[in-house]
Amino acid sequence: MISQPATMAAAARAAATHLLPGLPDEVVVWEILVRLPPKSLLRCRAVCPAWRRATSTRDFLLTHHARQPTLPLLYGYNCAGDVVESLDIIPLDNVAGADQLQYSARLGIRSVYGHGLVLQDSCDGLLLLSIYSTHFSIYNRATRQYAPLQQLNGFMPLGMYRHGPTGEYRLLLHPFRRLMAPDAQDGAYVFSLGSGQLPRYIGCSHTQEFLIYLSAGSVLFHGSLHWYMNHIIMVFDTIAESFRSMRCPIVNGCVDLFEMGDMLGMFSLNYEGTSIEIWEMQDYEAEIWALKYRVEFPVAEISLQCGKFDHHWEVIVTSWDSDVLVLLQFDDWLLQVGMEGQLVASFHRKGLRPTRLRLKQSLVSHAFFSTLEGYVVNGSPFIR
Amino acid sequence: MATREAGKKMIMLKSPDGMEFEVEEAVAMESQTIRKMIEDDCADTAILIPNINSKILSRVIEYCNKHVPTTGATGAAASDTVAPAALAEDLKIWDAEFIKVNRATRFNLIQAASYLNIKGLLDLTSQTTIDTISDNSLEEIRSFLSTKNDYLPEEEQTIRRENQWAFQ
Repeated sequence: MISQPATMAAAARAAATHLLPGLPDEVVVWEILVRLPPKSLLRCRAVCPAWRRATSTRDFLLTHHARQPTLPLLYGYNCAGDVVESLDIIPLDNVAGADQLQYSARLGIRSVYGHGLVLQDSCDGLLLLSIYSTHFSIYNRATRQYAPLQQLNGFMPLGMYRHGPTGEYRLLLHPFRRLMAPDAQDGAYVFSLGSGQLPRYIGCSHTQEFLIYLSAGSVLFHGSLHWYMNHIIMVFDTIAESFRSMRCPIVNGCVDLFEMGDMLGMFSLNYEGTSIEIWEMQDYEAEIWALKYRVEFPVAEISLQCGKFDHHWEVIVTSWDSDVLVLLQFDDWLLQVGMEGQLVASFHRKGLRPTRLRLKQSLVSHAFFSTLEGYVVNGSPFIR
Repeated sequence: MATREAGKKMIMLKSPDGMEFEVEEAVAMESQTIRKMIEDDCADTAILIPNINSKILSRVIEYCNKHVPTTGATGAAASDTVAPAALAEDLKIWDAEFIKVNRATRFNLIQAASYLNIKGLLDLTSQTTIDTISDNSLEEIRSFLSTKNDYLPEEEQTIRRENQWAFQ
């Protein structure tokens, strides 16, 4: 939130003092305050008006965002019987040996257990959420802003990104529900948040089946969206608004992409669900890949820990700082496996789900929110 | 002129209070600010470090000496002999001792690390202050700042309301 100007009297009082006696203001702002976690930063605005002003400028908030860690994102359903009462958004901010998971936002949105409420995408602190794949909304958990995206009814998102030249946040879409978007031509569409326009048709020679395949989730990397698809990688250039393909290793099993530090990563889970191979794209331009890890899951240890073994688990590979993180989920268990095939951590909680998304928190207030009908700050559906 | 001693290039650093410190170029280049001066050829004679007194500068050099990768001629880190994990653990213990200083010294070190652009030292010296701000109540932070609450009660209420979740 850009704050209201403090009163004249308060401003005059503050001008005479330093933000932190003993240090130049410049050092306090750009070396200390900018390193605070979002929650501490918001609290410290209440310390004094000078701190509030210093931590509310756009430059400050952009720098603060740039310094935030990019954390794997989990979510947890809170249920009463078969009804989901609310959804917790949980950034995994303490990997090694953490047995306490702290949720950082709770959204009171009711849906039926097992389907319905889905975190679709994450970009620069913004989260795209869908309910029953028909109703979309956009959130910033750090600024507690929420807005429904009614213009997207009938469409399915393929990816969310920041459009470099305009700074707009955009969604790549395709029409999905004919009843709701009867006039929409088959193909790809782009929607700019806050534009007030309906999704814009950008054409696309690919079939609808192809586009549906892409809705499984993209990886934003080097300004392009990437998807794995039948032994190739599909790439959407967000500036040129066109698709192309890239080479990748030919592997068997279930394959997905992820961002791995400053490289594009790919993993394949064998059909038995007992081991994965992790590849990294060492040269993006030349499309050169190398096998980085081969991890055998500690099946015996997992059976012992969880009292059962179920290899119909969901496997997510993501990264935390520069470390690769392998997460297995079945029933109410979430397990973290290390690169040596050891069980690093286990979490047991009903309704806990890993996602392939990561979150880099942002307190930047985006102008588009207030232009969206139904915009809410600090209110329902945020419970906490 | 920069001098040579046992094959190692030396650099002279001068504090504003007139003290001179001869340090290995590699040690001085832990500071990105000095590295840039050397690379831009602005470091022919002694480098004057403004605003950092000799007491603080000597501690900064102590830090850089400890943290410079001990290298052979090829520039490979000397972790061939010591395991990297043990080396990191040793550095951590050393850092913890190094930072046991009073607040005034710590603030001087923050300023020096900021001016000289030494990331490790800046992380180390600012963390205590960051923890103080993160972990304490508003009253405790104000007392740490030796500042009083100059919000009007209704102003503070507004801010708390705007950022409600941060106070839960």
